Amino acid sequence: MKRRNFVKNMALASAGVPILLNELKFQSVAKKLFSVSGAADDRVLVIIRLNGGNDGLNMVIPRDQYANLTIQRNNILIPENSVLPLTAQTGLHPSMTGLQGMYNSGKLGVIQNVGYPTQNRSHFRSMDIWSSGLIDTNATTGWLGRDFDNHYPNYPTAYPSTQYPDPFAISMGYEVSSTCQGLMANFSHAVNNPFDVYNLNNSGAVDDGTYFGSHMDYLTTLIAQANAYGSQINDSANAGNTLSALYDPTNSLANQLKYVAQMISGGLQTKVYVLNVNEFDTHGEQVLSTNSEQGKHADLLKKVSDAVAAFQDDLALLGLEQRVAGMTFSEFGRQVSSNASYGTDHGDAAPMFLFGSCLDFGIMGPNPIIGNTIVPQEGVPMQIDFRDVYASILKDWFGVPTNEIQPLFEHTVTYYNLLGACSVGLEEEELTKAQALVYPNPSFGNSSVRFVAENEWVKIDVYDIQMKKVATIFDGNLSQGEHDILMELKDLKAGEYFVQIQKESGNVNTKLLKM
Amino acid sequence: MPDQGNGNEISYLMTPYAGPWTKVEAGHLLRRTMFGPTNQQMLDAVTNGMAATVTSLLQMPAVGQPLTFHPDETIAAFGTTWINSVYPIDTLLSQQVETARVLSLAGYQYERMNKEPLSIGEKMTLFWVNHFGATATFDSRASYDYYELLRSQALGNFKQLVKDVTINPNMLLFLNGASNNVYSPNENFARELLELFTIGKGPQLGVGDYTNYTEQDVAEGAKILTGYWVDGLRSDTITNVSSTFNPLLHDATTKTLSAHFGNASIPNGGATEYSNYIDIIFQQNEVAKFICRKLYRYFVNYDLTATVETLVITEMANTMIANNYDVLPVLTELFSSDHFYDVSVRGALIKGPLDLLYSMFNATSTQTNFDLATDYEMQNNVYWLSEVMGQSYLEPPSVSGWPAYYQEPSYSKLWVNATHLKTRFDVATWLTILPGISVNADFFKVDALTFLDNLSDPINPNTVIDDMIDVFTPKSVSATQKVILKAILTNSLPDSEWIIQYSQYIGDPNNSAVSDPVRQRVELTLNRLFQMPEFHTM
Repeated sequence: MKRRNFVKNMALASAGVPILLNELKFQSVAKKLFSVSGAADDRVLVIIRLNGGNDGLNMVIPRDQYANLTIQRNNILIPENSVLPLTAQTGLHPSMTGLQGMYNSGKLGVIQNVGYPTQNRSHFRSMDIWSSGLIDTNATTGWLGRDFDNHYPNYPTAYPSTQYPDPFAISMGYEVSSTCQGLMANFSHAVNNPFDVYNLNNSGAVDDGTYFGSHMDYLTTLIAQANAYGSQINDSANAGNTLSALYDPTNSLANQLKYVAQMISGGLQTKVYVLNVNEFDTHGEQVLSTNSEQGKHADLLKKVSDAVAAFQDDLALLGLEQRVAGMTFSEFGRQVSSNASYGTDHGDAAPMFLFGSCLDFGIMGPNPIIGNTIVPQEGVPMQIDFRDVYASILKDWFGVPTNEIQPLFEHTVTYYNLLGACSVGLEEEELTKAQALVYPNPSFGNSSVRFVAENEWVKIDVYDIQMKKVATIFDGNLSQGEHDILMELKDLKAGEYFVQIQKESGNVNTKLLKM
Repeated sequence: MPDQGNGNEISYLMTPYAGPWTKVEAGHLLRRTMFGPTNQQMLDAVTNGMAATVTSLLQMPAVGQPLTFHPDETIAAFGTTWINSVYPIDTLLSQQVETARVLSLAGYQYERMNKEPLSIGEKMTLFWVNHFGATATFDSRASYDYYELLRSQALGNFKQLVKDVTINPNMLLFLNGASNNVYSPNENFARELLELFTIGKGPQLGVGDYTNYTEQDVAEGAKILTGYWVDGLRSDTITNVSSTFNPLLHDATTKTLSAHFGNASIPNGGATEYSNYIDIIFQQNEVAKFICRKLYRYFVNYDLTATVETLVITEMANTMIANNYDVLPVLTELFSSDHFYDVSVRGALIKGPLDLLYSMFNATSTQTNFDLATDYEMQNNVYWLSEVMGQSYLEPPSVSGWPAYYQEPSYSKLWVNATHLKTRFDVATWLTILPGISVNADFFKVDALTFLDNLSDPINPNTVIDDMIDVFTPKSVSATQKVILKAILTNSLPDSEWIIQYSQYIGDPNNSAVSDPVRQRVELTLNRLFQMPEFHTM
């Protein structure tokens, strides 16, 4: 599948649907405005799930909070001088040398304090929330599954097809991933070993309209799909290659990532790979009582760090770095203070990693602030909503138009610049005279606004949320055609703003989020 | 989701079923309550009638104990049980002995499933293993005690079971109850007690409020449960693992629950405070509904519709409350109900790995009957197969149990995906037409000739196929599939050829020259049947 088709299909489903945001008519800028141009036309997202609730404070360590960390978690805290520095304020667990190296070469990004409002501390429910990207609804679909459903109607019965011969997503191991649960079926195909040969007996079972019948239908489809996808995967694995010497054969995650590299390099057009690492639920013996730098959590972090570093090394050697990005997540972080069992209980927010060579950032967001007294059950407060991370990945990495992304979620999506570094720029696409595009948005410094004028007078003003004018950007005549006007906004404080473009051919209002 | 069977109205009646009682209905009952009923067990159930069959099923059989078979066990003698044996003092040797005991425990547990009599015993024990979700611990004596607790009270009182599990050493270790003390509460168990074991979580109403309980209850519950720890682990002098209560480690303050429990106040109750707390939890009728939904999803159908909730779950919960949380009356009512036999729920579940494996073995009367060590080794191999397919008995993937029993919207569909399906088909082939599981010089595979011998009329190839379909599928197979099976059994020759072949075999059953061809035909047929979607449902 060509990436452009992927994007085009998405646009077709939604072109020209305006969305109302805060009663301001926000014109959807459909088509390929957010899509990525250039050579990369088959992008892959690798998701690593840290199952059980990862202790973020023991992974990404706020170096400027050490005194209070000592108060909160003395029995598990690693010695300050063992922390691997990323910046003066922030460091990594000493077992994560691989990821430290990636950070230093701009291939690791840390998003701090990611979670969601009103944290649910059940593994069960919280993993549902992270998998579905929905909080209020008792969701039965995954965030990627909903996106896939938008673009590949009649899944699974209509697939594989000539146009889409490969699985849309692959879940490494024996289980499918609930992130890819669609309305009718799961879009992920479980692959334990891509070299396995599939030749299952085709089914002649019949759907009689009952639950039993629905299972006949399900299994029949699964058999056909297993054979078809199995053969594609097999071909790719055989045609593919891996080059890195860093994969440790005793590291199960490394072995799975090696298979992923093998399949991608062999030409498989799968968009998403999901991997899983268990045992992050470290209520007890998270660290050794004799040495806080070692123990269960240290082993897990080393496993992740070594495996990802080997994978990234391989991607570079294979020339695939521009096509592959990765992400880690866990259902929650753990409480700020440790318990007496050298462990930590279920908490709230935690950092996420993004990795790859197309990152727009190094560390996003400030360190968590650690208090100097123990508050029972206190977690790390959430600052960045994980759903916005998902939305931003869809936008930056897969080029999904924002008017397609918003309906995938319940809340008003905020976009961050995460994975745009390999995107050459905004693809040329015709704007109508009633449209305007602010980019980047949200803005971390200056932004630009793009719109169409007709040889006329144009005035651009920026208003704050109380509709008080805070800046006049432009006031003058413009020629016919598309214009990109820089908006010097870096001194504005964080918040929501409205950009008003007055022109004789019709005013346009749009919204800007300043970070 | 489909919601009707062949255009008929679904019955939601919980009154006793009074419709036809044939192999079809009896088979449905036995498949849901056992791992793999034989043709004869189905025929007997027809003869005995529904009520008597339900009564027979709902009895726990006597079971033995795990025995020593592995050379690394250096304390208990070969062929004796190790459940009250100490460990060697040396750490390395102790670990070796533990490994031997884990293998013995796993082999024993799987042998129980393989050699089940007509009883819900093992199916019900598995229900609780899933419900409480604990992993076996690092002292197999404690692990064994835990499974024995679940088995011995499988049909007993739910409230008492929760109490016993709460202070069971294996659970105290698994959910950190053993390190939950007044100085540093560990709320792991307190949370799961509410969320997963008793009342369940409702919609989140506000910060930390889950309709049926709040974060306050979790925190207070953790305090209530403080003070228990575990004694005797891997001891070289103490012969069993026990839980002990230390008042000095117990939080002696008065605890206050949320409004969801009437702001109940629980004063210091020392060693039995946990029991007072559980009594308060069980005053909420939601507990009965919560466990009845789980029973329904496990035994009947995962799609718990609004109508089922109103008509079936309510009735089950009422029965449970009326019987002070006894499980037996609820199951008796359920398995005798009109709703249970409604055609719409037949075949509504996809078999999990254990159902799959032991339906192949048990329905063909295939049991491990070699020598002691070989039997255990064989069952350990079956354990490995079940693990590869996604169900490792001693290690549920999380405290929630196996996702196929609880994860919306797919539930039992989660047992199968492309990878599992391939493994299932490969295993089917391995256990039928290939040599099977090999230990030393012995082989464990489906016993095709014994299976054939016990069918209604083995000389008639059409009856053979009909019986096979009755035994292994909940709602028969499609006409196309049936033609395929018949063609495989008879090698596409006229029925008379099967009659000749079978007659030769039965006239000289120990002569492999005449028995092998018959066995091979049956094996080939079973191999194909085991790869048909119909077989993978129950």
